[in-house]
Amino acid sequence: MKLITILSGKGGVGKSSIAASLAVSFSKDKKIICADCDVDASNLSLVLGADEYAEWKDISTNEKAVFDLDKCNSCKKCFNECHFNAIDWENNKPKLKEFSCEGCGMCELVCPQNAISMKKVNNAKIGYANTKYGFEVVSAQLNPGESGSGKVVFEVKKKARERGFDAEVMFIDSAAGIGCPVIASVAGSDYAVLVTEPTPSGFSDMKKALEVIAHFKIPAGIVINKFDLNLNQTAKIEEFAKINKLDLIEKIPFDKQFAKALTDMIPIVEYDETYKSMFDNIKSILLKKIE
Amino acid sequence: MVKVIGITGGKGGTGKSTIATALVYQLAKENKVLLVDADVDCPNDHLLLDIKRDFFQSVKQRIPKWDFEKCAQCGLCGTVCKSNAIVSIKGQYPIFMKSQCNGCGSCVFKCPVDAISWDKKEIGQIFTGSNYNINFLSGELKANEPVSEFVVNSLNEIIEQEKEKYDYVIIDTAAGTHCPVIAALEMCDYVFTVTEPTPLGKHDLEIILQLLKRLNINSDIVLNRSDMGNRQIIVDLAKKYGLTIICEIPYSKEIVDNYSKGSPIIHEQISNLLRVIVK
Repeated sequence: MKLITILSGKGGVGKSSIAASLAVSFSKDKKIICADCDVDASNLSLVLGADEYAEWKDISTNEKAVFDLDKCNSCKKCFNECHFNAIDWENNKPKLKEFSCEGCGMCELVCPQNAISMKKVNNAKIGYANTKYGFEVVSAQLNPGESGSGKVVFEVKKKARERGFDAEVMFIDSAAGIGCPVIASVAGSDYAVLVTEPTPSGFSDMKKALEVIAHFKIPAGIVINKFDLNLNQTAKIEEFAKINKLDLIEKIPFDKQFAKALTDMIPIVEYDETYKSMFDNIKSILLKKIE
Repeated sequence: MVKVIGITGGKGGTGKSTIATALVYQLAKENKVLLVDADVDCPNDHLLLDIKRDFFQSVKQRIPKWDFEKCAQCGLCGTVCKSNAIVSIKGQYPIFMKSQCNGCGSCVFKCPVDAISWDKKEIGQIFTGSNYNINFLSGELKANEPVSEFVVNSLNEIIEQEKEKYDYVIIDTAAGTHCPVIAALEMCDYVFTVTEPTPLGKHDLEIILQLLKRLNINSDIVLNRSDMGNRQIIVDLAKKYGLTIICEIPYSKEIVDNYSKGSPIIHEQISNLLRVIVK
């Protein structure tokens, strides 16, 4: 199975729209599976018109400290040693700041009274949806206020391998940014598609995303979305692609049809005939890249 | 008394930075304002306000280092590492994967022969700058460092020290809802959530609203590109959470042009936000 990851650094440049249309286009002649690895804000299934999950259940990739205050002798070691300042000290006893606890287990180790234990928390939900295009999307959503998005991303990729055991291609839609969940999305990919837009922010963030890809030595290409918004910036991005030996895969014009397609929850390639040949072209480029 | 106001939204690209910079641009005309770019993965506010950033300080994270002369090859350090940063097998020296480490200290504590001590690695940088009477603070995570939150915490410490000098501190958060966003929101007295009228905007806004509820922070909604999609889905969601859509900005070629050139945006609807803040 070949893994193609779509990322951008900057949010809202069209990652999910492009991932969804690519997936639909590929699905006409390849067996595919999608992994929505934006577990903070999981949207890929919505773009593909699936508004309910065939399976959606709790998972735990994290632990949190639980204090047995009867055993606690108020030595304050847990409070002093917590690197994440996740423990408050109230009435001479520890109290967990649940948003700050990383589940590292240091407090459990240092407690001389064995008054602290680590308990699994359901920090996310994971499952999959059927699309009307004949393939599944595996998604997860971090529960509001919970941490551990990187580990949840690994679970999504694992589940996508199971659900798509006979798939030839897996599309991975990454989160915005370059932190822990994005690193987890990119790791192990065969090819990365960097989506950008011709704005100072879009360009700057794409370069940051490129550093993550370069670290893993993953070959990559660029799709410039809304390229006609600023032709100067687009020229700069093209120049950058050339110097850095990145494939310039496609330039997509600014088109209000994209917003309409999103609202109607139909991928643009199915929504507007004119995009069919464009995505077929992207497909043939990507197929050569992953062969 | 200073007010600390957050700009967030869940979904990326809804216009958080556009709104944040437009807001401070107006606000700074008559007030002392600090803008904090807490999107440390991909900071952009300086690009929109044409601010030259100056290096202020480095953000360092502690990491363990091994003294193999002391190491007894017992394999215990790896057993307590929940970040999977240490591969340790009894009878061999441990292998440390620095980029996975969050510096919790469990391995240092567990080592029975004191073979592990502390080292440091730089994971990000803090910058300052100013323009248009706006003071500016920005953090930036180094590529391939996973813990964005530590850079946000470092910004938070500076905000804590400096905030009383200002009338308003505006914090622009990252997209998403995980650790670095939560860390930034924890500083805020009040939040604007910026969204767009698409099913995606709605879905992600709802997660942020649930998060704000858990954090006990009041908020209002800013609906950007309000005419591109189905406005009603956001109206219904606002109603469900008893919130107001305080400001609606229709799609405008002028805003997009300004954005793509890196100039601040001026829009009459922004004055609605000012009214809420000043109140």
